[in-house]
Amino acid sequence: MAINPVSLSVANTQIIEETNKLSANVTPFEAQQSFANTLKDAIASVNNQQVQSDAMTNKLINGEDVDLHEVMITAQKASVTLNATMEVRNKAIEAYQEIMRMTI
Amino acid sequence: MSIFTSMNTTASALTAQRLRMDVISSNIANVDTTRAKQVNGEWEPYRRKSVTMTEDNGQFSSFLNQAMGKKENVGNGVKVTKINDDTQTPFKLVYNPTHPDANEDGYVEMPNVDLLTEMVDLVSATRSYEANITVLNASKSMLTKALEIGK
Amino acid sequence: MNLFGGTISNLENGLNYASLKNKTIAQNIANVDTPNYKAKNVSFEKMLSDAKESAISANRTDRRHYNFEIKQSTPGVYSNENFNYRSNGNGVDMDSEQASLAENTIYYNALVERISSKFNTLNTVIKGR
Repeated sequence: MAINPVSLSVANTQIIEETNKLSANVTPFEAQQSFANTLKDAIASVNNQQVQSDAMTNKLINGEDVDLHEVMITAQKASVTLNATMEVRNKAIEAYQEIMRMTI
Repeated sequence: MSIFTSMNTTASALTAQRLRMDVISSNIANVDTTRAKQVNGEWEPYRRKSVTMTEDNGQFSSFLNQAMGKKENVGNGVKVTKINDDTQTPFKLVYNPTHPDANEDGYVEMPNVDLLTEMVDLVSATRSYEANITVLNASKSMLTKALEIGK
Repeated sequence: MNLFGGTISNLENGLNYASLKNKTIAQNIANVDTPNYKAKNVSFEKMLSDAKESAISANRTDRRHYNFEIKQSTPGVYSNENFNYRSNGNGVDMDSEQASLAENTIYYNALVERISSKFNTLNTVIKGR
């Protein structure tokens, strides 16, 4: 029974190679762009939900073809999406402030 | 179809059943009326009245949909289309020569109202009315529950 | 990011079905004395599949042409044409309709409870409190 010696140097270089592979194609600019896009999409979806909820509420007011539970569910979805986006924003700002507080 | 469609349907049914009950009570009240209206100068006894109900599907879009062979609408309840006189059943002849409206043979024509039939119709109308009240309560409770989504 | 997939959209479909069924039951009970009226019913699968059919709209060549859309306003509703419970051709079974009413109300209330609770869960998870 031969015990294979663990070769730390080989494992290390493997890990470092893989990390390099992951980060090799993403520049800081691109990372910023993708984050900005995610943020824009999130805000657009919040806006869509709010607009939909408003449209449903208007239909309800005018007595048009809508069900009460649809109105309530759309309103809830809008509220939950808004809460989610607010929390994401809070965490992002916290993280930023945390980083700015780091002393060099 | 708004959120109150089923309540409007039930309201139309309650109106129709109440109208039916009014007609029945008019029949029962007039069971002995020998001079109801004049026909050719002669008094005619009261004729029993009944209601005709049809499903209320009166919107243009539902007719168009049916004409195009599409599937059917839920509909909007029920309405009474006619209050018709019962001309099929003959008048009851009762022998009463002292009555002022008796004919040459001493028979008086009495209204063709059969009390038993009217009582049964009355009970049926009452039960339908109560069933519709149950539906109304159920719809109301469902809408109230829906308002609590998310609370 | 789609927070509302799966169960919540199923619950929505179930609520739509229950609401439509309530309307048909109300219509049936209202028409219990109408001659030649056949009871209406809703099929869940047909409702889901009919909702995907597209609408037909008018081809307007003039501004004054009436703009109407013919769509499946009530998908999934069908009636049993052969039932005759009374001599006047009426096809409504009052007892079965009352039972369906009770059952449907409980179903609707249950779904409302579930969806409400799912939203509250999402809110709790998001707020972290």
